[in-house]
Amino acid sequence: MEILSYTFMQRALIAGAFIGVLCAVMGVYVVLRGLSFIGAGIAHASFGGVAIGFFVGVNPVWTAVIFCLGIGWAIGLVSRKGNVKEDTAVGIFFASTMALGILLIGLMEGYNQDLFGYLFGSILAVTRQDVWITLGVGLGILAVVILLFKELMFVTFDPEMAEVSGIPAEKLYFLLISLVALTVVISIKVVGIVLVSALLITPAAAAYQWSEGFRRMMALAIIFSLISTTGGLFLSYWLNTASGATIVLLSTLIFFVSAIFSPRRRKKRRVAFSA
Amino acid sequence: MDEYIIEMEDVSVSFGDVPVLDRVFFQVRGGEFLAILGPNGSGKTTLIKCILGLIRPDRGTVKIFGKDPWNLNHDRHRIGYVPQLISVDLAFPLLAKEAVLMGRYARIGMFRRPKQADREAARIAMERVGIADLADRPIGRLSGGQRQRVFLARALANEPEILFLDEPTTGVDPTTTESFYELLGRLHREGITIIIVSHDVGVVASHVDGVACLNRGLVGHGRPEEVLGSEEVAKMYGCDAVFFHHGKIPHIVVKRKDNGNS
Repeated sequence: MEILSYTFMQRALIAGAFIGVLCAVMGVYVVLRGLSFIGAGIAHASFGGVAIGFFVGVNPVWTAVIFCLGIGWAIGLVSRKGNVKEDTAVGIFFASTMALGILLIGLMEGYNQDLFGYLFGSILAVTRQDVWITLGVGLGILAVVILLFKELMFVTFDPEMAEVSGIPAEKLYFLLISLVALTVVISIKVVGIVLVSALLITPAAAAYQWSEGFRRMMALAIIFSLISTTGGLFLSYWLNTASGATIVLLSTLIFFVSAIFSPRRRKKRRVAFSA
Repeated sequence: MDEYIIEMEDVSVSFGDVPVLDRVFFQVRGGEFLAILGPNGSGKTTLIKCILGLIRPDRGTVKIFGKDPWNLNHDRHRIGYVPQLISVDLAFPLLAKEAVLMGRYARIGMFRRPKQADREAARIAMERVGIADLADRPIGRLSGGQRQRVFLARALANEPEILFLDEPTTGVDPTTTESFYELLGRLHREGITIIIVSHDVGVVASHVDGVACLNRGLVGHGRPEEVLGSEEVAKMYGCDAVFFHHGKIPHIVVKRKDNGNS
């Protein structure tokens, strides 16, 4: 295929496939633990982090990493220790960090094409350095998930029971938020700040429709996500559309097909008839 | 008689301005089969959570196996916990045998994978509670009674010395409830100390050796027939509580009062 000979497309595909795997893996925890809103909150907060990077003139990925980790922990801390509900904490933090980003962008001169790429995702924006960052950070995230696979599954299913049996559920909760934050940051170049939470949630939610076991759900989420990111990148090239939007719409299509043909739904219906 | 394995002295807990436990003194000996009874909102679950180290009391001391509950280290493995069924996410994609194996996770330790011995322990635990045939069933497709046994097996997989159960039979039909308590009786005879939290006085009292009645403070603690016949317990359930004796164990029937508090 001709388009594979373009370096930018090669980079986008490598980064895209890898991001697809990461978002699917973390998405399983996000969907099952009910962290979707935190994921979306962290994603929007990354706008503030990216803007700081542009403002002070360093690679926005690094400022976004620090910023998103900080916001993730702040949401976790405020909702655990303070008298604020988790979704309220998310609501406050993601609006204020976006506001900070908008403020900083306003202080800068002229229109910034790169910033537009961060917001909506752009294949052309993926640099060689971005690919290395994605691979490095991504492999780190996957290593942690593999090493703590059973613990993360336990605290996602039943944090209280995990705590009682001697597993540090609270620390693992913050670890989970940190992993989600890192996943979000390395995904924004390809999918965009506005849409990255969708890639986190949708493939896992589609996989959930077909799964009654944890590992199967994770495997299916990875497959759906890979189809969405790589397929979406090709489609966006051919149709000349925004890569992030194409990827997200493709994954949403997979979700709706899954929801309609879900064995879970059929089973539920059968139970309803027999009752 | 065995020595105390749980000791609570002068324990008070409040959530914000609301007192939940008020100056509770409470001891449990090894080998007991005890029910903690009380109306909804009487602080039963909070009491258990204090003993398990999930909540730290505002005042007073809690010891389990002579240690602080939040600092148990390896003695954690000696505790089994079966949480309230409603706290469990039934939509979670998990097979029964996977759920039971979770009971071994803390013992296996971080960064390690379950070994054959752990799977064997999980299998034996499922056999002990009579659900070996349900191993490959997703937890979402189990009946209430079967699911309760899965979580009991999860606690047993860790080979605990003491077992805590929080409202284990809520939403489970009477026949299943009866056989569940018979199963607990068998486990107790095999040497496990069992503590059940329940608001269901009648059913529980006929199976256990001791009851503790709780209504923020401890109202009574002793043999079921002594405690449940007492004036204080009658007061706890309101003046409309009627006691009638059925064999040796008094049963309580609580009439609903006009203000809706039963």
